[in-house]
Amino acid sequence: MKLIKGEIISNEKMGDNLYKMTIFSPYVIKNAVPGQFINIKCSNDNSVDPLLRRPFSIHDVEYDFKVFSILYILRGKGTYYLSKLNPADVIDFVGPLGNGINIDKIENNNFLLIGGGIGIAPLYFFAKVLSSANKNVFFAAGFKDNSFLLFEKMLERLKINYEIYSENGMHGSKGMITDFIKEKVDDFKNYDIYCCGPVEMYKTLQNIFYLRNMRAKALFEEIMACGIGVCKGCVMKFKDDQDGYFYKTVCKDGPLFDLMEVILE
Amino acid sequence: MNNYTGSGTSVKLGSIILKNPIVMCSGTFSSGIEYNDFYDVSIVGAITTKSFSLKPRAGNKPPRLCETPAGLLNSIGLQNEGIDFFINEHLPYTKKSGFNIILSILGTDISEFSDLAVKIRNIEESLIAVELNLSCPNVEKGGMSLGSIPEEVENVTTAVRKILNIPVIVKLSPNNNNLSELARRAKNGGAEVISLINTVIGMSIDINTFKPKLGNITGGLSGPAIKPIALAKIFNLHKEKILPIIGMGGIFGWEDAVEFMLAGANAVGLGMVNFVDLHAGENILDGIINYMSNKNILNISDIIGKVKAE
Repeated sequence: MKLIKGEIISNEKMGDNLYKMTIFSPYVIKNAVPGQFINIKCSNDNSVDPLLRRPFSIHDVEYDFKVFSILYILRGKGTYYLSKLNPADVIDFVGPLGNGINIDKIENNNFLLIGGGIGIAPLYFFAKVLSSANKNVFFAAGFKDNSFLLFEKMLERLKINYEIYSENGMHGSKGMITDFIKEKVDDFKNYDIYCCGPVEMYKTLQNIFYLRNMRAKALFEEIMACGIGVCKGCVMKFKDDQDGYFYKTVCKDGPLFDLMEVILE
Repeated sequence: MNNYTGSGTSVKLGSIILKNPIVMCSGTFSSGIEYNDFYDVSIVGAITTKSFSLKPRAGNKPPRLCETPAGLLNSIGLQNEGIDFFINEHLPYTKKSGFNIILSILGTDISEFSDLAVKIRNIEESLIAVELNLSCPNVEKGGMSLGSIPEEVENVTTAVRKILNIPVIVKLSPNNNNLSELARRAKNGGAEVISLINTVIGMSIDINTFKPKLGNITGGLSGPAIKPIALAKIFNLHKEKILPIIGMGGIFGWEDAVEFMLAGANAVGLGMVNFVDLHAGENILDGIINYMSNKNILNISDIIGKVKAE
């Protein structure tokens, strides 16, 4: 991890309030693994508004061009600042950060990736890596509406199997992606499962997998301050050995955790 | 690159001599190890570790962070792995790397502080000083923090002082309006330095869910938002010449650090700026050195308390 000034190659609107920013950084390309993130200063040099850096997962990497991208939804001051930046502008970020997915340790050949909303962002990077390693990947993605229509094109290009659901039925099948998982879960019994999405999705998945004694890994997000494990601000709760609990930081111990070990409240 | 060890930057706080006035604040820099990946943190005057208690503490329930205008509210709840973890896991690294460590310790009562001091006695030659974090609520005192009760400040300081030979620093909270009495009590107990200010109690509410934004309901505010409060507290306490002060609270640039020294801080604490500028220690130190050069200041200690406020 390093503090980096990276040049923006493109910053495009992908859908309603959805943007993709591509950044040149040989260092990130060389070092990042899926699930890791960068912590961006979303204000001008001496401005303190917004004050903290904002974490964004690494969404895609293009090794040939030494660029990576992040996907973000216009939500507050930080993302508004990002949305106004142009190609050739420079952003100040720290990364790659966090405990991501160690590809070298993966033995299974079959992977189910479950993404909810903007949670598809880091899973796409993983899917791309798996696909280039000739693994069998099934990507299940759920959205509120059709904001992520262009994302489907990216999945098509990876030549992997996928299923898309949207709550209002404007993109893919109508319903929740967890309905699809519940119905088809037995087809994925021998798959390694990775998910990224909102807490409600995780609660539903925990129930589905618990009943079948299945395991899954999940990428989490939290409001962060330092991004490097120092401040203990971004924690998730875990059971300990004696019916008690303890906290782990999302930024350093995570963002990848065993979904079945996290206590969701 | 500037010469960080030039005598012009050194400052004296009681019997503590720092090579420069930059001190990292407790809880924002761990023991310096993570930040050493970004720059050589042995260049800073001192690193105050996060606060360690006798046993590990789980900390408060999340959410623990909430950003406010130019400020950060936190309710971490003093999560730490316990003093043995510092001694066994961090100290070998900080010693080898030449970090100037002020060990922050945290107790709920005098006996925990005494037990901590006994544990530290064997490693005190590796430390510059200990800082007492007295912000923990004390059950027997109706949940009040030890640091808000004058006789407790004196008693805890005396107890630690009896066991340790290294200087004792007492960190005070701005949420008390009797800071000079607390500082005098710390001095009576044998403290050599006051750290000022800890975070300011604050709150934030989600207007959609009606819930407080912090799991602990209230938390401590830090960042540029509290800088004027910190400056005034330091200015007022410095006038009383009770003890030297490590001044902190919202320092974000070298200009802020200079302001704190003019107000009366003998050294300056960098806190949450470390989260935003991961090179804050060297950047702010460089800024101070350039300022000295531009203003023909030979010794930075010459500006301490020199605000023209007659």
